[in-house]
Amino acid sequence: MRAECLKSISKYSWIGYTAVRSELAYSAANVSRIIFMATVLYVFMRLWSVVYEGAGVERLGGLTETQMLWYLVATESIIMSMPRLWHEVDQDVRTGALAVHLIRPLSYAAAQFGRSTGERVVRFAINLMMGSVVAILFVGPIPFSVAGLSMFALVLPMAFVIDFFGAMLVGLCAFWLESTQGVALIYSRLMMLLGGLMVPLEVYPDSVQPILRALPFAAILNAPGRMLVAPSSALFVHCLEVQTMCLVVYGFAVFALHRYALKRVFVNGG
Amino acid sequence: MNCGVEIRDLKKTFTLARWQGFRRRMTQVTAVDGVTLDVPAGQSVAFIGPNGAGKSTTIKILTGILHPSSGDVKVLGLVPWSQRRKLAQYIGAVFGQRSQLWYHLPPRDTFELIARIYGLERGLYQMSRDALVDRFDLGPLMDTPVRKLSLGQRMRAEVAASLLHRPRVLFLDEPTIGLDAVARQELRDLVREWNTREGVTVFLTSHDAGDIEHVADRVVVINHGRVVVDGPVAEVRRRYVSTRILRAQFQDRPRQIDLPGSVVKSRSAYEWVMEIDVTVTPVQNAIAKLAEAGPIADIAVEDPPLERVITRIYKEHAP
Amino acid sequence: MIRSLADYLHLAAAYVRFNLRAHLEYRGAFFSQVVSMFINDGAWVAFWILFFRRFPVLHGWTVTDVISLWAVVTAGFGLAFGIMGNAFQLASSIAQGEIDVWLLQPRAVLPHMLLGRSAPSAWGDALFGFVVYLGFVRPDWPHAFVFVFMSLIVGVVFIGFAVLCGSLSFFVGHAGALADQWRNALISFSTYPPTLFQGAVKVLLYTAIPAGFVSYLPVEALRSMSAVDVLLCVGGALLVLTTGVTAFYWGLRRYESGNLVSLNG
Repeated sequence: MRAECLKSISKYSWIGYTAVRSELAYSAANVSRIIFMATVLYVFMRLWSVVYEGAGVERLGGLTETQMLWYLVATESIIMSMPRLWHEVDQDVRTGALAVHLIRPLSYAAAQFGRSTGERVVRFAINLMMGSVVAILFVGPIPFSVAGLSMFALVLPMAFVIDFFGAMLVGLCAFWLESTQGVALIYSRLMMLLGGLMVPLEVYPDSVQPILRALPFAAILNAPGRMLVAPSSALFVHCLEVQTMCLVVYGFAVFALHRYALKRVFVNGG
Repeated sequence: MNCGVEIRDLKKTFTLARWQGFRRRMTQVTAVDGVTLDVPAGQSVAFIGPNGAGKSTTIKILTGILHPSSGDVKVLGLVPWSQRRKLAQYIGAVFGQRSQLWYHLPPRDTFELIARIYGLERGLYQMSRDALVDRFDLGPLMDTPVRKLSLGQRMRAEVAASLLHRPRVLFLDEPTIGLDAVARQELRDLVREWNTREGVTVFLTSHDAGDIEHVADRVVVINHGRVVVDGPVAEVRRRYVSTRILRAQFQDRPRQIDLPGSVVKSRSAYEWVMEIDVTVTPVQNAIAKLAEAGPIADIAVEDPPLERVITRIYKEHAP
Repeated sequence: MIRSLADYLHLAAAYVRFNLRAHLEYRGAFFSQVVSMFINDGAWVAFWILFFRRFPVLHGWTVTDVISLWAVVTAGFGLAFGIMGNAFQLASSIAQGEIDVWLLQPRAVLPHMLLGRSAPSAWGDALFGFVVYLGFVRPDWPHAFVFVFMSLIVGVVFIGFAVLCGSLSFFVGHAGALADQWRNALISFSTYPPTLFQGAVKVLLYTAIPAGFVSYLPVEALRSMSAVDVLLCVGGALLVLTTGVTAFYWGLRRYESGNLVSLNG
């Protein structure tokens, strides 16, 4: 049993490793992502400069101007590291490849997770590095601490897992919809708007903040973003709580979906 | 004024830049090396040669897409590259890889658009269209999206589309490629008819000997950028179809036979590949003779590869 | 001259009709793309509305200005690439020798070639632009008229710039990705309040990446209804268009002398 488990882990690690290697080969895509990030960071640097000047304060939503930009580095790095998972799952549903795996869903999910996480981690690392360089050039560094960075690093895995579940759910919509591209777009726009991609949720009207914080999008972007720029143990605990909640809810959703898919596949004969 | 195609000492050299490490190497490639040709109006010419011989380059110059390095060209009295738009009104082109027909729409729509592009007067356009639809048998196809048509139907529609504006010269580049035997013959007949009845000058490039035989009056063979053979089809046909390749597979080990005018290309225990001269031994006789060698499991009769025939022609005409 | 313009518009109308008809052959996918783009643009406008609720003024610009900006940019972009969709893929069309088909026809190459395709999602942008402007800003007739006019001018800038970027393909091989980046830079910078940028960047935005003509001048023209802004915008648009067209025909001459053509028979 132990040997089986170890074998599985090494198999999925290998899948992840090859994904990492293939990601590194796409240098042209990396260059265009970096240019895009630099543009966005530049525009928002100007935006925050004007806003802080106009408001005449040093902190907005608890963050300084510099922190705002580094927040953006974190969230952009995360969102731009998203692999096209939903598309793969969508295709697998349509071609029937998924049906084969429904009996042993864990193996399918694990394989997908291994591959997409491999891609994601590499992209994220590149994004974060380049984003940091740009941010240092534009506004200079913010004080980092080992504790703070560790907390940031620890919040990331859950964020990735939650996003992974989200992407799986989007892809699985292929059972009902002719094209999941629309759903994927809505998901990414909701993430952008409600997850606090460009501005931390504190900037939003107070009335909606509690709702937004509870949504999974915030757990993916806002939480890690704040963790990078203003880490605190209280925030850390809070983040983990929210992320766990999201995972549980998502877990239920995927489980329910799996049950439904099994039923449907057997009714239709695969 | 000669209303056909006049080419005088046409030359075209390309300069290719190649990077070798950090230095740029410029190589001159001569695609067309002094072609002189006169095609009178109403003639049907097959313009053939191996890949890289300069066919496409010449056609591109004739249609105004490329400028030559030197030489004179007049198509219908116009200079193609400097009077491109005017010439375009009088020429039609069907290039194998590029379709004029819109893939998702029925041919009727593309025809309508062509009428707009060429500024065809409504009444004349309708007459032209109806005549083409009738003769090209496109009636039931006119309202079917092109993507649902078979390749043969598509090519018919394609050629018809190129004739809508009543061009005086029609350039066809590999029009029958990929077509089955019936579709191929249909298309050849249509092009031939438009050439003989409407007097449209036809410029055909093709690797298919059948195309040449059925459509062209005259064959021009081009190789290494020069014209190496230029004469009536019948004359060149003798060289094309004078040989055939016979591939025979036997059930038992065949006995020795004597086949006059034949050359053995390869011989294995059960298979013979021979090249026969049909002017010496017609195919029918050759097969009969082969049957005497032993019971035949399978037999195939092939044209000799065009490249080889042309190479042979070229060697015969080498300076 | 007028007659040839009328004739060209006639041809353009035919192309628009046929392009839409081709899109409608795949109704579901077409509508899905239109709606997706609508949602995408809507998300950005929603973001700015939320942002401006907290920070009402940015160097003189209010939420109405930003909405007007998005409206005119999407309307202009949508019209431009809905009608002249081939401008989007000019670089690859050139690289693949697709120009030859257009050279065989009795029309000026560039204006004809651009009409050959339509970008389906662009219609979503166009729809969004007009709906948002008419619905959110609720203009009076003069403003509506200026809006439509400015959308067309913005469209001209987008087309001219896309042609300029695409023409790179004539001079540099594999220019596709580079051309896309450059063109996307224009789109990126066009959607943020131009009042944010100053100094050297501002100069950049009226030259190498002419976003100023797409974002600043049209919105100023709508705000102040000033003829000067309109004229400056028109001037800028014509400048961009002329540059693009010149680059294209320069490249085309090189193409026709054949130094780009790869030999294949």
